Amino acid sequence: MLEIRDLHAAVGGKAILKGLNLTVKPGEVHAIMGPNGSGKSTLANVLAGRDNYEITGGEALFEGKSLADLEPEERAQLGLFLAFQYPVEIPGVSNMEFLKAALEATRKAQGKEEWDSVTLLRKAREACKQVNLDAQFLKRGVNEGFSGGEKKRNEIMQMLLMEPKLALLDETDSGLDIDALQTVARGVNSLRGPERGIVLVTHYQRLLDYIVPDHVHVLSNGRIIKSGGKELALELEDKGYGWLTGEEGESA
Amino acid sequence: MSESLPEDLKRQALARAGQAPAEDGALSTLRRDSLAALQSADFPGRKSERWKYTSLHPLSDGHLQHAAQGAAPARLPVLSDYRIVMVNGHLDESQTRLPEGVSLRREAERLDGLSNPFALLNGAALNDAISLEVAPNTEVAEPLHVLMFAASDTPAHCHTRLEVLVNRGSRLTLIEHYEGHGAALTNAVTAIETRDNAQLTHYRLQSEAADSLHIGTLLFQQTGVSRIDSYQLMAGNRLRRNEVIALLDKSGAELAMNGIFVARGRTHVDNQLCVEHRVPDCTSNQIYRGLAGEKGKATLNGRIHIHRGASGTLAELSNKNLLLNPGAEINTKPELEIYNDDVKCAHGATVGQLDAAQQFYLRSRGIPAADAKRMLGLGFINELVMALPDENVAEWVRPWLAAELGQRPEAGEEAA
Repeated sequence: MLEIRDLHAAVGGKAILKGLNLTVKPGEVHAIMGPNGSGKSTLANVLAGRDNYEITGGEALFEGKSLADLEPEERAQLGLFLAFQYPVEIPGVSNMEFLKAALEATRKAQGKEEWDSVTLLRKAREACKQVNLDAQFLKRGVNEGFSGGEKKRNEIMQMLLMEPKLALLDETDSGLDIDALQTVARGVNSLRGPERGIVLVTHYQRLLDYIVPDHVHVLSNGRIIKSGGKELALELEDKGYGWLTGEEGESA
Repeated sequence: MSESLPEDLKRQALARAGQAPAEDGALSTLRRDSLAALQSADFPGRKSERWKYTSLHPLSDGHLQHAAQGAAPARLPVLSDYRIVMVNGHLDESQTRLPEGVSLRREAERLDGLSNPFALLNGAALNDAISLEVAPNTEVAEPLHVLMFAASDTPAHCHTRLEVLVNRGSRLTLIEHYEGHGAALTNAVTAIETRDNAQLTHYRLQSEAADSLHIGTLLFQQTGVSRIDSYQLMAGNRLRRNEVIALLDKSGAELAMNGIFVARGRTHVDNQLCVEHRVPDCTSNQIYRGLAGEKGKATLNGRIHIHRGASGTLAELSNKNLLLNPGAEINTKPELEIYNDDVKCAHGATVGQLDAAQQFYLRSRGIPAADAKRMLGLGFINELVMALPDENVAEWVRPWLAAELGQRPEAGEEAA
């Protein structure tokens, strides 16, 4: 469902991704790990279509379509979802109103049955409950005054409702205490299924104790320098990134 | 064509005033006095500081020469059981329904404080007027909806006149509402006086179509210890100019004015606010939010004048604005004149743009770019919309403003 070939990307003119290859098939969970500055978040943002994140070479295909040709909303309507590392606050736009607009647009584009407002409210409450978020948060401005952990749980709550084909989670574990981490992990695990791909971008191994990946990749200096199974994450936990990035540093 | 536009407009105004019927007991005094003042008044040109951002050029098509005669649609918005309807400046008696305790006379007398040439023209050329009085110690439970409709296919004008006295100990919710379309200029004057222990909730909804024109003068005079909450919501049109004058004349009077203005497409809105603290210990609080998109232009000039004797004054003015795109324009200026040390006066004005991160966040959830802009625009003014105390009004306002924010530039405008 996601096919990335020799992807080069720049942020504000600066080359960050330098020939990245990655294939995600339905049902798979991939973890992308790597030190700070390796390009992990850039990859997530490039795939979601953020301004100033420019594809300069290679291609990224989602469901056979080139992401470079699609607006961010078209990507979402195709079933791509990015859980943000730093979700933005939008005072004045209620969470509920936001969810309604998002679900109307995506469900319509995906040919899914439209939810009336009663159904939507019920589903939204269920999703809140699943991530331990008080339903009062639905009435508040999007992320407005939410704590770091509440923002992350709000991201997962949206993901549960939107039922994406491919979920990208950008450092969703950062800033979470252990309880919140488990809650978030439960939410993500509940979405695992044969039709869905999940890509976890993370610096630390600890999230992978709760969401066990099928594949682990190490990103360094804009490229994947090592791929393996879930045991690779444990190895990284043990040895750090140095033994891998050191090689990279010498060869570069 | 050697005549300048201001001179031309003045000549047209005087000619128009001369056509008002000479004998009309209820209006003749005001007409005579207004005409005398108009004769020595000048219509503003571009060099006039107060008209720096509003050109009267749209009136060069002869709006002042003809009376608007467009027909009102069968269905006009209804925001209350109690209503008064004026069509092209004439009262439609068949639609009048007054709440108990409110009386109506077709008279006008206010001249004091109304000195701009358009207000004078209104007084000089008037041929109908509404004067409302709330009897003392009367609580009017239901809002009174005063709807002023104006329409014309060709350049024309009408004068609307609303004078309101809220007597001591009384309470009123007044919805002053302008609707219309076409090349009609509404030259509106509203003057409201509140006496001791009076409470007024006032709405001024200006929802005429984008091709219409409106020059309005709104005067509040608090001659008693009273409270006024005013909500002024307006969409831009070909020419919209609002002068708001508030005279705080009795110690202890409180005034709160909230406003939202939206200028999209090629529309125009100009607010000239002037709050006069003339006696000690009065409070004024003003919160305005403005939005401009495409080639829309909006202006707010907020003058607070604290007179020498007005110690203990509390005055605040906040104006935040949002530009939806680079071609739009907003000019905002707080203007404080303080002749007293013992006052608390705060003001702030900002102009910002839509936040790129917020737009991306909404779009990343599948919301189309135009909808995302509309949602963020509504979010920006939502705080004030949520503060509207009457649910009937709020229910009408929400879709109206959503439509104003959702509209796309008309074909050809992008290319221009």
